[in-house]
Formats: sequence, structure tokens, C-alpha cells
Amino acid sequence: MTQRTRNWLLLAPAGAWFMVMLIIPLTVVFIFSFGERAPSGGVVLAFTFEQYGNLPARWAAFKNTMTLAPIGTLSALLIAYPLAYFLAVKANPKWKTILLVLVIVPFWTSILIRSYAWIFLLGGRGIPALLDVIGIEGVRLINTPFAVLVGIIYGYLPLMVFPIYVSLDKLDKRLLEASSDLGAKSWKTFLQITLPLSIPGIATGCMLVFILLMGEYLIPAMLGGGKVFFVGNALVDLFLQSRNWAYGSAVAVTLVVVMLITVTIYMRLIYRLGASREDVSIM
Amino acid sequence: MRLYAFCVYLFLYIPIGVIALFSFNAGRHASQMQGFSTKWYGKTLSNPFVMDALETSLIVAFTSALCASVFGTMAAVALQGIRGPLRTAFDMLIYIAVMIPGIVIGIATLIGLVTVFDQLNPLLAALWPEGLNPPKLRMGMGSLIAAHTMFLMALVVIIVRARLVGMDRSLIEASSDLYATPMGTFMQVTLPMIFPAILAGFLLSFTFSFDDFIIAFFVAGSETTLPIYVFSSIRRGVTPEINAIGTMVLSVSLLLLIAAQLLLQRGGHKSK
Amino acid sequence: MTKDINNISKKEFLEKLESYRNGSITRRHFLNVTGLGAATAVLGGTVPGLRPTPAFAGDIGDRVVLATWPNYHDVANFDAFTETTGAHVQVNVFGSNEEMLAKLQAGATGWDVYVPTNYTFEDYVKEDLIEPLDVSRLPNYDAAAFEPRYAEAGSVNGTLYGVPKNWGSTGMAINTKHNDGKAISSWKEFFDITMDKFSGRTVVHDYQLTTIGSALNYHGYSFNSVNPGELADAEKLLIAVKPHLFAITSDYQPPMRNGDAWLTICWSGDGKQLNSDIPEIHYALGSDGGEIWSDYYAIPKSSERKDAAYALINFMLDPNVNVKEVLTHGYPTADSRTYDMLPADLKNDPIIFPAQDLLSPLEFGAAVTLTDPNRAELMARFKSA
Repeated sequence: MTQRTRNWLLLAPAGAWFMVMLIIPLTVVFIFSFGERAPSGGVVLAFTFEQYGNLPARWAAFKNTMTLAPIGTLSALLIAYPLAYFLAVKANPKWKTILLVLVIVPFWTSILIRSYAWIFLLGGRGIPALLDVIGIEGVRLINTPFAVLVGIIYGYLPLMVFPIYVSLDKLDKRLLEASSDLGAKSWKTFLQITLPLSIPGIATGCMLVFILLMGEYLIPAMLGGGKVFFVGNALVDLFLQSRNWAYGSAVAVTLVVVMLITVTIYMRLIYRLGASREDVSIM
Repeated sequence: MRLYAFCVYLFLYIPIGVIALFSFNAGRHASQMQGFSTKWYGKTLSNPFVMDALETSLIVAFTSALCASVFGTMAAVALQGIRGPLRTAFDMLIYIAVMIPGIVIGIATLIGLVTVFDQLNPLLAALWPEGLNPPKLRMGMGSLIAAHTMFLMALVVIIVRARLVGMDRSLIEASSDLYATPMGTFMQVTLPMIFPAILAGFLLSFTFSFDDFIIAFFVAGSETTLPIYVFSSIRRGVTPEINAIGTMVLSVSLLLLIAAQLLLQRGGHKSK
Repeated sequence: MTKDINNISKKEFLEKLESYRNGSITRRHFLNVTGLGAATAVLGGTVPGLRPTPAFAGDIGDRVVLATWPNYHDVANFDAFTETTGAHVQVNVFGSNEEMLAKLQAGATGWDVYVPTNYTFEDYVKEDLIEPLDVSRLPNYDAAAFEPRYAEAGSVNGTLYGVPKNWGSTGMAINTKHNDGKAISSWKEFFDITMDKFSGRTVVHDYQLTTIGSALNYHGYSFNSVNPGELADAEKLLIAVKPHLFAITSDYQPPMRNGDAWLTICWSGDGKQLNSDIPEIHYALGSDGGEIWSDYYAIPKSSERKDAAYALINFMLDPNVNVKEVLTHGYPTADSRTYDMLPADLKNDPIIFPAQDLLSPLEFGAAVTLTDPNRAELMARFKSA
């Protein structure tokens, strides 16, 4: 058996799997997106751009997704970075492993249950009731973009902390010491050494969170009360309520295209900031 | 700095504390504490639907993580020795599989498979021997495992490949210089070195599959996984049963995590 | 023996007979499934001692899945069912008939019993998603006991597909504490107050029929309109109202109870439940329109536990059980046997049994609204606006 045959055999199962479970379904979605809604729901094959022409009717969902996904990613980054820095550089080595595990543990409960806890915390009997006690009245949190943002940050924080921690942990501490020995102020050390060296971690974390947010359904569904609508929610609606598969397919195709474009631009930006291709890995 | 970290941990754990607290609620309502009781744990454990959903989730997560680890590792190893269009095509597939949102995977799998099944089922019925019930293809555990395996496989390829890249090639060369068969080299040199990555890939895949709601929501047919059960219970007006499920899943995950950590440390390797 | 015995084929009949011989199914089950039970029942009806006892005594498996609406059952009844039959009841809750239909259309759901509303039956039959009911397996069903107005939609072309669960109305519930103790009673007031001092406190259903219907009533149109011009007016109103809403959800009891929401489109039973616990919450019908409806127990074709499905429906039809249901969910029953058992104050309750003149502006949902593409898309647009 030659090397070549062996490689082909090794690739065959994965290749076949991708073909049946990825390429064929995506092709069907693509074909359906040019179809028409059948009278009782479902799809009639056709070749029309009608569904794409109707896309403006979902503009708000795309707008919500395209604003809250970047805002969510950035907020998660801003909260996660100092924590990752603390864990990698400042934390007592004895406690480090435990502290790290404590960051992942919440990630091991279903995001459903975690978001459900926030329904209570942000609802009238949760945080607003506490604020009432100290004199701030009439605050409404649940079913607002803010509630969705909190849910997003909460849900994806561990995914952001980890890659950043890994890149900061690799950082040679002697560099930092040398820098301060040479009299550099601590913020200068941070800006000139620490931050640039942690860019791969930031890039990976942001990418992971951003990708997941673009397709988010659960968090807006649970904490947005049907008022904060993502493309994911619009999709579920089209397939599981109004039964318009053709239009749903067009929305899905558009979401994927928007996503590929955004991610490509994002990667370009990151490379320009000095990360190499290998650095931005998914995990 | 320390205060900041403390605040973040507080943010991370207050909701979990709330979940755990209400799981001991004696009353029916999930948002009003009416005395302490462990009855919801008993109720949950004796509810056949919860146990069934758990079983389904475990079977799906284990099978898809296993398939993904085996086929993903095979592909990663093969891709090491390939250049040219095939490599580019595979890289594309992996990129697409990781990049496509779960919700699109769910929808595409649903309508794709339903369409394919609608074509195949009459064909099967026509081909099947007279007098026997022809099999009927439909959505269920099989389609769910297949969909999970697909995107988890891409994840495993990425993880294992990262390990293979960092591997010392000279060991493999030394091994083949010593006239070891390619299989021998793989079993004795490559596999032990990439094993931590495969294990990490398996554990990660298991978690993803076990937690997945959105793909299962579309693809699971009449099967109920644990997240689907929890989702429909939340809409039903929640009882502390959900909190009990959450607390138990968390505790078990925590134990597994600690066990995995110990295992990896003993192996002397650090994966990631 | 004819080749088709009451919808089961000869082959199935022989298989059933075989399992009966093996003892894997009980005699009653065998008679029920094969339709011989119907013959026995007809004969037995004349001989008192032979009247069939309730059908759940046999082995029906250990579970049954019910797809239903929020806050719609007395949970204790399910526990009782489990105790009697050994079968646990799993409840899946939905927010609209459209959602149920979409799930059934997309393939296996695992449901055994579901509760469609009057206007959906025609489509379920057309789509071949619903099982014709075998009355002989529902000894507690007595067609004569039901008011025809609330039972007739369960039959399509003379075939019985659904037995009445209960009926009700769709009105509005307001927490009068926030409106100087005053209630409201029209959709005009409903949407106007939402855009004014109730801003951020109103809930509308995640359900095209009632949400679009109420907006149509606001303009004085029919609740069931599919006229494009009238729908456009309704859409304009809904889009204008959206920023003032608390939520779009069919599960509005939790926010009404904890004070987050003050006003909601409301099914009468929920109105009764809320009013009993929190007297300031007042339920009213719209003087300018609204929905009157009837829900039915039915079995989806795809159910794989039909014995359990029949047993559950039969159990729920038992007036002794049904009366507990009514006491819990607060919806009026169309079953005179159950009605007779209700306490007098419930029979005179203005929320459960409103005066006839208040009901007259209301309409039954029309089948056309279920499949009308414009209404479906309007709802989806409104939600994603």
C-alpha cells in the first residue's frame, strides 16, 4: 500500500461525512433559497430571487445581530482580559489551577440553565427589587438589549478568558522583569510588551465568541422576551412558525455570507496587527 | 486587581448559586423560596423523561465524540502528508464546518435530510422484498449523531493538527530509519505523542454535544435530549426540577473535570 | 372476516391476534385495537354487566407525551393518571397553533396527544397529520353531553378527529392598580394605553391569530381578516406599538404575577387564574371584538403510543377528573356532565361564563388564518422589527 492510497483511505470517512452532512444539506438550503413558499408551508422549487428581494423585511434582525455581536464580543474581551492577566501574571501559582478551573466550571452547565438563572435575577423580583430597596425605583432590565448583553457576556466569558490566558501564560516573565529593571513604567511595559504578545489570544477569543454570537438564538429568546431579535430567532420563526422554508433558506444563506465576509475582514485586520496565521486557531 | 478578579468570580457564580439555592426549594415555584427540601432531587431522579433524556444525551455525546475523535484524527494524520488541491479542499471543508453557525447546521441538516429521505423512502420501499416492512428513514438519534459528529470532527482535526505540527519530526524519521513499518511508527511514536490532543478533542467534543441545544432542536426528530427537555420545561412554568437537573449536571461535570485534570497531569503532558 | 377491520389491515390484525395469544397484550387491548371492542360495546351497551370499564386498566406502557398550552392542566390529575396506569405524562408547552403545525409538518414529534384549536382541524386532516378517533376506545366520551357549538369543529366530513377539552375567550387582563383602579374593555383602549402610560408594561401573544386579530379589532375590522389593506393597517399599529411592549410571548403569567407586566392579551382561564390570586388583575372581553374558541384533545398520526393516548384522553374526559381541571385552569367546559358538578359560584363566575351579550362581538378563528402567508409573514416581520 502506497503512502498515497493510505492517505486517501484515512481521509475517506471524514470526507464522506462532510459530503453527506455538510455539503449536501448546504446545497439543498442554497437551492431552496431560490424557491417559493408552498401554500401549506414548506417549499416549491423554482428559480426566483423573490426571497432575496424580501430580505429588507429582516433588516432589524441583521442590524441587532451585527451590533450586539461585536458589542458583546468587545465587552467580554474587556472583562476577560484583566482576569486572564491576573490569572497568568499575578495570581499565586498555588491557586492558579483552581482559579482556572473555577472559570470553566460555569461553562459546563447548560447555557439554557445559566440564562434561566438570569431571567430571575434581571426580572422584577431580582436586581430591580434590590435597587428599589436602595431607592432607585422603576428600573427595568429583563427583555432589553442590556439583558441580552449580560446573558451574552455571562455565557461566553470563559471562552474569552481561556485563549488570552494561554497566550499570556506563554509570555516570558523575564521580559517583564527586564522591562521594569530598565525603568519602564508598568503601563508602558504593558502596552509595549504584554499587550502585543497577547494578541494571538485576543484574536482567537474574539473570533470564537463572535462566531457563536452571529448564530445566537437562545440568549435573545430567553432574555429578550421576543423584543430583541437576532437572525437566529428570525430563522427559528421562519422554519418553526410561519413555515416559509424558501425565505428561511435565503435568510440562512445571507447570514452565512455576511459571516464569511466579516470574519475574512477581521482576519485581515488581525494579521495587520502582527499575529501570524498559526496564531489564530480555533481553540 | 485581586478585587477585580473577585468581582468577576462573583458575577460568574451568583447565577449558579441561585440555581443551586432554588433546587432545594420546598415549594412548587422556582422564584419564591418556601422552605428547604431535597424532594426535587428525588422527583427528578425518578422522572422517566429526565432519565430518558439524560440517556439519549449521553449516548449521542459519547458516540459522536468517539466517531469525531477517530475519523478526525485519521484525517489530521493524513492531511500532514498531503499538499495540493485535496489539502486545500479539506481545509476549506473544515473552515466551513467550524464557521457555520449551529443554527444553520441544524436547519440545513433538517431540510436536507428530510428532502433526501423523501426521495429515498419510496425507493427503499420499492426495492424491499415483498411482504417485509421496508425500513423508513427519518430524523432521530441517528441524524443527531451524524450532525454532531460532522462539526466535532472539524474541531478534532484542528486540535490534533496543532499537536502534530509541534511534534518532533526527527523521531518519526528515526523510527522509519530503524525499519519500523508505517503502522508501527504510528502506533509507537506518533500516537503516544498526539494522544493528549485526541483526549482533549474527545472531552471537548463530548461537552459540546452534551450541551448542544440548537442543532438538536431541529435534527432530533422525536428524540428528547436533556437540553431539549430543559427548554420545554422552562416554557411550561418552571418547577425547581430544572434547578435540580442543573445542579446535578454541574456537580458531575465538576467531578469529571477534576478527574480529567488529574489524568492529564499524571500523563505528564499539557494539552491545548 | 372482511379484509379491513376498522382501519387496521388483515396483517396487523393477525399480528395483534398472535400477541394476544402470547399474552403480551391484554384482552381489552386486543379488542380495542382490532375494533372488535366496538362491536362488543354496541352489544354490551344493552346488557348492563357488559359495559366496558374505562380503557386504561390494560398495559399502556410507561409514558405518554402531551403537547399543550401554558397553564392548562391540573398537575395532580397527571399524577393520578400515573398512579392508575403506570404511565408518566410528559407535557410539552407551545405558544401557538402555527408552532404545533410546523413541528408536526417537519416530521416525527414524539407526541401522543395534543390540543389543537377549532380552526386548525381542516388543515390537519388535509395534511394527513391527525388520527381519526375510535369512539369505542373513549368510553367516557358522550357526544350528547357536549354543546354542539364547542364540539362541531372536531369532526371533519363526518369523521371525528377531536373531542372537546374546553372552550374560552381571548380578552385582556389589566393590573388595575396602575390605572387608578380602572379596567379597560376594548382593543382601542388596550393599544392606546400601551402607547401611553403603560409603555413598557404590555404583553402581546407570540401568536398570529390573537395578536394580529386584536390589532384588526382596533381598527374595527374582523378578527379573521386576510384582506391585504386591513392587514397593512394592523401591521402599522403593531410596529408602532412594539417599542412600548414588555414582551411578545404566550407565557405571560409569570411577568403579570411578579409585577413586571401590567397588561396582556389574555385567555380567559389565565384571566381567571390571575384574578383569583391577585384581585387587582381584571379580565375583560373586547367590546370591539376578540376570539371565542374551543380546544380539543386529538392524536397525531405519528404517535407511537396510541393506547396510552386513548387512555389519557379518556381519563381527562371523566367528569370527575375534568371538574378538577376546570377548577384549576378556569376555562368553561362544554361538557354538561362536568358543568353540573361545578360549584354554583363558578357557574355564575363572570370570567368563566360571561354574559351572552359580551360574547356576541367575538368570532371563532377561521381556518384561512392558519395558512394565510400574509398573516404568517406579518407576524414574523412584526417580531423581527
